[in-house]
Amino acid sequence: MSLRDTGRRLRLRRTGRIPSDARVRHYDELDEEEQSVVRELAGEPWTAPEIGDLDDGDVVKFTDYYQIRSR
Amino acid sequence: MSDSYVIVGDGIAGASAAETLREEAPDAEITVLTDEGESLYNRILIKEYAKGKLPEAPISIHQEDWYDEHDVDLRLNTIVDDIDVEGDAVHTHEGETFAYDSLLLAIGGTPQQLPVENADAEGIHHFWTFQDARRIKESVEDAERAVIVGAGLLGIDFAAICGAQDVEAKYLMRGDNWWRYALSAEGAEIMHEAMRERGVEPVFGSGVDHFEVDDDGHVEAAVDPNGERYECDFAGVAIGLDFNTELVRDTPLELDDGIVVDEFMRTNVDNVFAAGDITTFNDLILGERAKNGSWGSAKEQGTIAARNMIDYASEEFRWVSSYSITHFDFPFLSFGHPTLGDDYAEATTAEGEWRRVALKDGKVVGGVLIGDLSPQSAFKQLMREGRDVSGQTDRLMEPGFSVDDLAAPTEQ
Repeated sequence: MSLRDTGRRLRLRRTGRIPSDARVRHYDELDEEEQSVVRELAGEPWTAPEIGDLDDGDVVKFTDYYQIRSR
Repeated sequence: MSDSYVIVGDGIAGASAAETLREEAPDAEITVLTDEGESLYNRILIKEYAKGKLPEAPISIHQEDWYDEHDVDLRLNTIVDDIDVEGDAVHTHEGETFAYDSLLLAIGGTPQQLPVENADAEGIHHFWTFQDARRIKESVEDAERAVIVGAGLLGIDFAAICGAQDVEAKYLMRGDNWWRYALSAEGAEIMHEAMRERGVEPVFGSGVDHFEVDDDGHVEAAVDPNGERYECDFAGVAIGLDFNTELVRDTPLELDDGIVVDEFMRTNVDNVFAAGDITTFNDLILGERAKNGSWGSAKEQGTIAARNMIDYASEEFRWVSSYSITHFDFPFLSFGHPTLGDDYAEATTAEGEWRRVALKDGKVVGGVLIGDLSPQSAFKQLMREGRDVSGQTDRLMEPGFSVDDLAAPTEQ
């Protein structure tokens, strides 16, 4: 996986409600670069360049449920 | 005539093989046989469903129409009861025969039952399939007290489920700490404390001598070898898997705690391959035969098996696995083979952060990270490179460790 040249940036937002149509993945399903981004952004107000297969609206289960926001 | 591939098993290993075969052999005939009543689902997330944190829908990965769209013949509720490797055919319990040019066995395992009285009573659960998760969720929602057995990576899921569903639980362990083969008391105590915070009490030097049942045959208590009695409405047992080798026991396939395959996922029969939990594979990184039950490893094995079914020796399986626990407010990750090794280095790197690296002949073969997962890529890189870190293990324990912190490798 690699950076995507879209100019958009990712943010992770903690979420308690998982929509039935959301794509939900566990941390273990991500590749190493995606895992690194999730670790860095989880619980933090930071952003990172879009990477790999993390898309807007996706939900990742790490130490909590986090929704990917891409802007 | 196109090649015909039969895959037994629709878990992630079998399904990733089917995907790869369809992509790389567009004209092939592909049949997937599974004894389950539903197509591929996310086995990592079923614990989240049982915790009541996730609805059913996102857990499904392949809807049944995926198989139609990809021209894969999926047969649900189909039990393979005989494999004729000389005749290149598998036979099912309903008398159907599926001939193949190449066969993939992704037949996994079955949870072991405790060899004690009343181990099969109502209310005693094992956790492997989505159906298990549904039964566990239903049962635990009505429970007030639980007993958990199995001090490993699967048992802790039961602890998390009880914690999430506000069920008071006793976690009965034979040793002095959780996952004693990979963690020292110091690392394990972080996990114990997280369990206690969720109402799950670890009980050491314990286990189960027998279960007691009520007049309806429902579990009502576990009695440990010390004679202590723990009342429960629900029991979760996760003591390991029996690999489903019965199916191939009367075939020429080599067995060794699973089906033996080479680094191309091929068995000792030229057109029979295996992938996933069932394999005992040639681990090129470890340098010996190994087993691995992680999702990522099974997925990769399925992909590699498919490529070698099309073109043998085209791609080898070379993989450092990892498995994380995300039930608590800190992460836990094991990688490689943390229970192997002839030496260890471990340290508490900050409050609530602990790491342990297992070494064999001076090389990293696995480890465990609690709290801070940031060195996982560096440790995996060392494993892939087979770097000798003799005399430098203290550096592996430094916060912020990177491979560049080590002396440059010398010519071996």
